[in-house]
Formats: sequence, structure tokens, C-alpha cells
Amino acid sequence: MVLDNLIQTFVFGIVEGSVIAVGAVGLTLSYGVTRFINFAYGEFLTYGAYLAVFIAGGLFGVSLPLPVAIAVAVLLVGLLGVAVSRVFFEPISHRGALPLLITSIGVSFILRNLLQGWVGVDARQLPVPLLRRKDYFGVQLTELEVAVIVVGVVTMLLVHLLLQRTMLGKRMRATSGNRSLAEVAGIDTQRVVRQTWFISAAAGALSGVLYAILFAPFRPGVGFAYLIVIFAATLLGGIGRPYGAMLGAFIIGIAMNLGSAYLSANYTRAYAFVILVAVLLVRPEGIRGGEF
Amino acid sequence: MALLTGWAAFLVSVGTIGCIYGLLTLGLNVHYGYTGLLNFGHVAFFAAGAYASAIVTMPPPSEVTNASYQIWFNLPMPYAFPVSLAAAAVVGGALAFLIGLTSVRLGTHYLAIATFALAGVFSDVLVNEAWLTNGSFGMNSVPKPGRAMLSADVWQLSYLLFAAGSLLAVYLLLERLMNAPFGRLLKGVRESEAAAKTLGKDTNVVKLKSFVIGGMVAGFAGGVYAHYLGSVVTAQFIPAVTFTVYAGMLLGGAASNTGAVVGAFTVVAFRESTRFITTVYNWIQSTLPDALSGVLPTVFSPLPNNPSFIPSMRFVVIGVLFVLVIRYRPEGLFGDPSEIQALGEED
Repeated sequence: MVLDNLIQTFVFGIVEGSVIAVGAVGLTLSYGVTRFINFAYGEFLTYGAYLAVFIAGGLFGVSLPLPVAIAVAVLLVGLLGVAVSRVFFEPISHRGALPLLITSIGVSFILRNLLQGWVGVDARQLPVPLLRRKDYFGVQLTELEVAVIVVGVVTMLLVHLLLQRTMLGKRMRATSGNRSLAEVAGIDTQRVVRQTWFISAAAGALSGVLYAILFAPFRPGVGFAYLIVIFAATLLGGIGRPYGAMLGAFIIGIAMNLGSAYLSANYTRAYAFVILVAVLLVRPEGIRGGEF
Repeated sequence: MALLTGWAAFLVSVGTIGCIYGLLTLGLNVHYGYTGLLNFGHVAFFAAGAYASAIVTMPPPSEVTNASYQIWFNLPMPYAFPVSLAAAAVVGGALAFLIGLTSVRLGTHYLAIATFALAGVFSDVLVNEAWLTNGSFGMNSVPKPGRAMLSADVWQLSYLLFAAGSLLAVYLLLERLMNAPFGRLLKGVRESEAAAKTLGKDTNVVKLKSFVIGGMVAGFAGGVYAHYLGSVVTAQFIPAVTFTVYAGMLLGGAASNTGAVVGAFTVVAFRESTRFITTVYNWIQSTLPDALSGVLPTVFSPLPNNPSFIPSMRFVVIGVLFVLVIRYRPEGLFGDPSEIQALGEED
């Protein structure tokens, strides 16, 4: 029984790790080419979840089936990311990391409070059915939880293929490694930055939707609150390192679930951070140094 | 005309809260403006100070409803007031020391995230450790010093004077300190850590000192706040406080103490005055002739009608302030452009 519980908790950690991983990869990709940590990233999660609810609920006239609604929401938030980048970040992109970082705080305030002013602080939830857990090789999971893991793993694979097999991925890696060198080599780095913003924001939205599926209901502050967890995974993997972020995400997810199950459920976020701080003290560059 | 009768009371309360935010901003300015430390967890030091003051002066739990705290000192007012404020500063500084010990040597991004997250963890502690903090119900019987001897209005005014005096004292102290060799050392670390190291300075120790000084000022602000409101609740200490303080500091001008104070007052005055938007709206509506009474509702009808609309817009404006100041006037109102340049790039 003790071992069963442990395994079960471990698997829940992997489920949550999938949510974190999708978010952390998106954040770390944008850091790779923009060189600043985006504090407005949490709002992409929030907007993803809310748009999915609204589109599925027929806010814009037609009520789409949930999977379609999620896909539309993810694409819209991707476009929002590009718009945010063009309006707020590109004009000051030559000024170094600090102004960009502080601007991103302002952007997060603007996005979050516009949404809150519009829809209020009432809790929402995605129209997903309440399911009974089934037995998978001795582990109890709902079909939705299995789906979250699958979506997480597929996203990781897609990011891997994107980075290693496509021209865009190669351009992203080149821009990330050395922006001026990439420009000299004829890469339109501004275009790469925008494409990266799209991917980053879309990944954030997808992570927000997965979060909303697992942990309904949610409020407009959901993404900002979860940002700490995503930061922990991102830093643990070393900022700007997608594979490190994936690994970091699963470590954080498992640690949070083990901590909540065996220590105290009041300090879920704290476990993520204790691990992070411990790692930073030993390896300030994160667990996975080196280029991606 | 309820709007005008409340004016004096409103100004006094904005003045007092402005002084408290002025203190917070001065503290943050030591971190960010003078030393270049991107501290995104300032609210934790503020909270630590406020709780320290509350614990030192709260009456025994048996005299308070809904009490679950188990540590109290019940020091008698008003003599305990200076003790309480000293405790607030010390606890704020101690928390800054602990957080700084782990994170002060990290680079810009890591430091920003580590402080942001540790402040989040600290607020989890405040909510969950009810034996110490009375949980999310809060400590609501913090004594107001001298309140028993004075009428309500006189007390409000006296406390405003006290808060203004504290602000002035801290301002003068920091001005002196920042013009002293120590202040130049902080700026030196901000502008080039490598150069400071070459001159034999232990930059991590310098940063830690800066962190503790700013944390003490924020803790002190927490003490002044606790005894002003008479209640300390976890919901008051949210990340938005940190970023409101940042808005004030950036607006006034980083690395300028005068700017910090002016910026803090401006932001607080704006934040508090938005409360009157609906009052003003109703007043205008009531004075308009009947023929025009449909105009305002038509103009504003596309806006969502929910109670969080105006509070949310307040923060949208603060967000816009961040964006505009950084883009168009990074030195703020009183900052020195060359100092901000030195703050800009590091990585």
C-alpha cells in the first residue's frame, strides 16, 4: 500500500509536470531569442484558459466543441503574443534586459487587469466532464489526466523536432546563440523573434488550458500565481534551455506532489522553490548548462 | 456633497499612506536604484515588519475574537511604540538577510525570480502558520499609539505628523549614507562588479548589506503601517504592493531619494483617488438637467458592469505607467539619466 501510494503520487507529479513542462518550454524559448524573462508570460496561461472557456461557451456567437475551442484559443493567444511583442517589447529591444524585464511587469498588469475588469473575479471552469479514475498498470488516472500527459509529451516532441529538424528551429538556435552573427548570416532575426513569440505564447496558452483541465475552477490571477512554479522549472533547467526546462518541469511537478502528499499540502509552491534554491546554490547556471 | 466634507479626511489618509509608501520606495531604491539589485519581493519585508509590530503589541488571544495566535507580548502603549517599530525594522532586516544570503549573488534574472518566489513562499507561511500570524483572519487588534488620549481627528493628524517625521528622518539618513563612501561603493557595484572586485571589495557582502538596509526600511514601514491601520491581514501583502512601489520609484526616478518620495506620493494619491470615480459620476449625473440624463449611461454602457472594473483599471493604469516611463523617460521625474544608463545593461 505504501509503495502504491508513492507510485500514485509520483504519477500525479508527472501529470502536473506535463503542464509545467509545456509552460516552461514556451517561456524558455522566448528567453532564448529575447534575452529577458517575461513576467507577462503567466497572462498567456490565463488568456488561454479563459478564451477556451469563452469560445466553447459560445461567447463569440458560435459555440465550438471543446478541442476545437482549445485549438482556436491557443492560436489566438499566439497572435496576442506577437502583438504584445510588437507593441511593447520591440521598440525597446535594443536597451538591454532590465528595461524589457520591467516593461513585462507592466504588461502583465495591463493584460491581467483588462481581463479582470472585463469578466470580473468570478471563478470559471472548462466544460469538461467529471470522470471516474481507471486503473492503468496499477495507477489510478482519469482519461483527462492521461490526455494531459499525452498532450505534454507530444508538445515536447514537436518542440524537439522544431528545434532540430526545421529551418525555423535552426534560425531560432542561431539567433539565440549569437544574434548579430545570425543577422550577418542573412537571418531575418526580427522575424525569428516574432515567430518565437507566437510559439512561446501559444505554448503558454496550452499550458493554461491543461492547468484548467486539471485544476478547475480558476480566476484571472491563475497564470500569475502559477508563474512561480513555471519559473522554478525554467531556472532549474537553466534559462533558455528547452531540454533543461522539460527535465526541470518534471522534477518540480514530482517534488510538489510528493511534498503535498507526505509533508503538508499548504506549501506546494514552497517545495518547488526549496529545490530550486538548493540547486542554484550548487549550480547557479541550472542543471543543464550548455547550448541547446 | 459628501465628496467635499470628506476631503480633509481623505487628504490625511492619503498623506499617511503616502508616507508609508514613501518609506517602502526609499528602501527599494537602496536595492534597485543604488545597488542595481532587482528585488521583486519587497512586500515580504513590509509584511515581516508589520507582523513583527503586531506580535509585539497584540493583547492576549483571550481578549480577541477569532484568535489562534500563540505568541504575543502585549507591551503597553504608548511606551511600546518605539520598541515595536525597532522590532519591525530588525525583523524586516533579518528576513532580507536570509533571502539575500541565498540569492544576492545571483544574476539579474535569477535574483528577480528568486526574490519574487521567496516572497510568494513567505506569504504562504503567513497564511498557514496561524499560531504565529493568526492565519488569513489577520491580527486585528494592533493598538494605535496614543489613540486613547486623543480624539479621532486629532489622532489621525498626529499620526500623519509622526509618519511624515519618520519619512523625513529616513530620507535624511539615506541621503547621508548614499553620499558617504558606502553609497559610492553601492553605485560602484551597480556600475561594474568586476571593477569593484578588482579594488578588493567583496561585492556579495556589499550587496547583502544593501539588501539588509533596504529590508530594514521596508520593515520599519510595515511597523508604521500596522499601528496606523490597527490591523494586519495577509490579503494586504500581495505582489501588487511590490509593483506599486516599483511604479512610484520608476516614476520618481531610480537612484534619487527625492524622486522615490515624490513618485510614491503620486502613485498613492492616484490609487486612492480612483475610489471617487463613481461618486463623481453620480454627482455629475445628479446635477445634469433631465434632458441630458441619458448621455452618460449611453457613453459608458459598453463598459462591463462588474464591481471589479474600476479597481482593475487602476492597475491597468499602473501597468501603463511602467511601460511609458521605461520607454520614454527611464530616468523618471528626478533621476539622473547617466545613472540609469549604468543600471541598464548587465548580463
